[in-house]
Amino acid sequence: MGAGVGVSGVGTDLLVEAGGVLVTSLDLPTTMSQVARLTVPRLGDLCVIDLQAPDGSIREVAVAAADQQLARDLEDLRERFPIDPGSEHPVAAVIRSGQAMLLPEMSSSLLRSFAQGAEHARFMIERNYRSAVVAPLPARGRTQGAVSVIRLGDGPPYGEEDLALVVELARRAALAIDNARLFSELQDAEQRLQAVLGNLAEAITMEDEHGQTVFANQAAADLLGVEAPEAVTSAPPGALMGRFLILDEQGKELGLEDMPGPRLFAGEHPEPLLVRSVVRATGEERWLVVRSSLVMDPGTKRVAYAVNVFEDITGIKRAELTESFMAEASRVLASSTDYTSTLGRVARLAVPLLGDWCAIDVLTEDDELERVAVHHVNLDKLRLLEQLDRRYRPRLDEPVGIAEVLRSGQARIYTDIKPPAVEGYARDPEHVRLLRELGSNSVIVVPMQGATRGAIGTITLASGESPRRLTRADMGVAVRLGRRAGTAVERARIYTERARIAHILQRSLLPESLPEIPAAEVRAVYAAAGALNEVGGDFYDVFDYEADCWMLVVGDVVGKGPRAAGVTALARHTLRAAAISGQSPTAMLATLHRALNRQPRGADLCTVCLVTMRQANGHAQLKVALAGHEPPLLIDARGETTQLGRPGTLLGVIDPIRINETDAELHPGQTLLLFTDGVTEAGKPDRSLGSSGLRRLCREAPRLSLQGLLEHIERSAVERAGGSLHDDIALLALRLLTPDPARER
Amino acid sequence: MSVGEHLRVGVRNHADTAVVHLDGELDLASAPVFESELQRAEVAGAARVVLDLRDLQFVDSAGLRMIVTAHTHARERGQEFAVTRGPEQVQRLLAITRIGEHLRIIDAPEELAP
Repeated sequence: MGAGVGVSGVGTDLLVEAGGVLVTSLDLPTTMSQVARLTVPRLGDLCVIDLQAPDGSIREVAVAAADQQLARDLEDLRERFPIDPGSEHPVAAVIRSGQAMLLPEMSSSLLRSFAQGAEHARFMIERNYRSAVVAPLPARGRTQGAVSVIRLGDGPPYGEEDLALVVELARRAALAIDNARLFSELQDAEQRLQAVLGNLAEAITMEDEHGQTVFANQAAADLLGVEAPEAVTSAPPGALMGRFLILDEQGKELGLEDMPGPRLFAGEHPEPLLVRSVVRATGEERWLVVRSSLVMDPGTKRVAYAVNVFEDITGIKRAELTESFMAEASRVLASSTDYTSTLGRVARLAVPLLGDWCAIDVLTEDDELERVAVHHVNLDKLRLLEQLDRRYRPRLDEPVGIAEVLRSGQARIYTDIKPPAVEGYARDPEHVRLLRELGSNSVIVVPMQGATRGAIGTITLASGESPRRLTRADMGVAVRLGRRAGTAVERARIYTERARIAHILQRSLLPESLPEIPAAEVRAVYAAAGALNEVGGDFYDVFDYEADCWMLVVGDVVGKGPRAAGVTALARHTLRAAAISGQSPTAMLATLHRALNRQPRGADLCTVCLVTMRQANGHAQLKVALAGHEPPLLIDARGETTQLGRPGTLLGVIDPIRINETDAELHPGQTLLLFTDGVTEAGKPDRSLGSSGLRRLCREAPRLSLQGLLEHIERSAVERAGGSLHDDIALLALRLLTPDPARER
Repeated sequence: MSVGEHLRVGVRNHADTAVVHLDGELDLASAPVFESELQRAEVAGAARVVLDLRDLQFVDSAGLRMIVTAHTHARERGQEFAVTRGPEQVQRLLAITRIGEHLRIIDAPEELAP
């Protein structure tokens, strides 16, 4: 504690007292006032402490004087006439030089020489400024200000001892003042930080290695469900977290030790963590991304705290999950017209995203309510749901629930379902018991809307297994799903209906059954290309033409769909009518040609193969007439084939048409095969079966039954076409039986 | 040039002769593509029209009808009209349907030049 030049007894006491005072406060104004008061009146009549601000200006920060008025006047003066840092005023000079100044006797002229203006000079002279010591306040290598001790009036002038004392005092005070300044800056910084953190939307907490939260902003308090940050910092570690069920993206429960903050303390390097947090009491859910980083203590250089930032992405996450669900559900609904199966898949997709269980009911064409899908997260509860459905089917006349939604077409949400409501809804005590066991606490029922009718069904979603409750947002998603499902069901029904009609129509274009021809076997195979909806253009027919004479017909109308079906019917019946009226094959074809040309929109065309068969003398006489059609084959017992007939003009395209009638013979054991080009063109254009391919098939299978042969040809054609026919196939065959009734395989 | 289904149709006009080149399959599905190309000014306004079938891999009755229609329109407009010989399947169908008898069949487009 030595101070260089000797310090007297009084001085030592002063310093000791100073030492005591200076450690008591970090508050700058207080500290400085205490220093000033220490010196007055013991050391002088007036003490002024000036500090240099960062901008270089000199500000008076403390004044002490026996005379309070004097002190106030001086403060006022300093404010109006601050000391110019570049002037000769002792304070300015000391601050610049860092050297103390002793002014034992201050004459009026001296005072005037460094006064900051006439009023300042007058002040000092009138108050009798006599003697002064000005000492620097050093800090961290520079002078942060000065302490001036002044004697007024007639007291003894200051000497070297006094100077030494004030210098020493100033030195000690300087340290305290510096600390106080730093602390004040720190406080300012902290206040600014608080202001920033307080206003951030993200929740921020800071915790120590024991998990004790030492800081939390208002957003954090809100997130944790408490009033103010103080409630967070005063809670013991983990106490507040206990209110929440924390799950990861997959639904696995997480503990405190999985959070990034504790993991950082454990020395790990955790990634930002996406969690789903559920309030146990209310079921309210939020999605959060938690990011943490460590803060070091600058003094000890050890890790002191973890700062956790919680970003609430609930809105984004829910939107993301909802959209990907809707996309998947739409895909499933569009994948097939078997809506029982697709709705079942949708119900499984909807759980648990939209609720803990889902049921889908559909109004059948007979206006009965049918449950087509049901799914529950919990398998035992699923059985319970099925039981409920079996014993207590919703009735269409019920005032609430599925029936009401079907009637009104309005979506409904029932939240917070209480026992009285359950009892009111149930039909008997057993029903109540089952519903209680099911334990649904919120339910959404939305209509499945088609485009034409009103609601054609409903989708029911409910919660009860988790603390979660269904919200209006969930209902919004369910309504969208209801619309998509409704459209899908409606479309599926229309499609199936059309397919049924087409199928019936198609069948009506073909003969109900083939006639029995004595001593002969007749078989036909017909396969339409394309989906059920498309009516093919091929046709065949067998009828009695004249006495003992039969006519076989195979034809191909160009086109598909209802129009082609119409032309097919026209062709078949025109030929039949022409035959009945006794026309020759050539005339029949000409009649059909004219009929096609007379069609309202023209441009309907058709190929036909006609063969008449007259049995006599143990064999059959054939007459073949072709119009734009492939020549029929004569297949002998060994499978060798011959093409019959001569080309004739395609019907309905151009005039004149030229038709030939060609004679041929069919003997017992031989087969006459008529077919359409769907057979020979199977696999076009690169791997067409071709007529050579067909003839080869016939050669391969001489011992097959007639039906077997036709099926063999059909199978080969389908295979050629890669599994699905591009064009219809019609095969019509007649085999003349051998007189010896040898059984054919 | 027009591409659709499995047919590509290209039109070239040289010395008032429109050559319509078919590449692929001409059937019910691709007929509209062919039809729209035939309606183009270069074809409708030419003095001579040739259908080049040398690269036609497949034709069916609907395709033949399209060809006959082109032939009929050309006659009505006073245009000369011809069709080149096509691959085997095309020729075979022209024979079976006897449509070939109504058309002028040449070996190459140049034959029709003035």
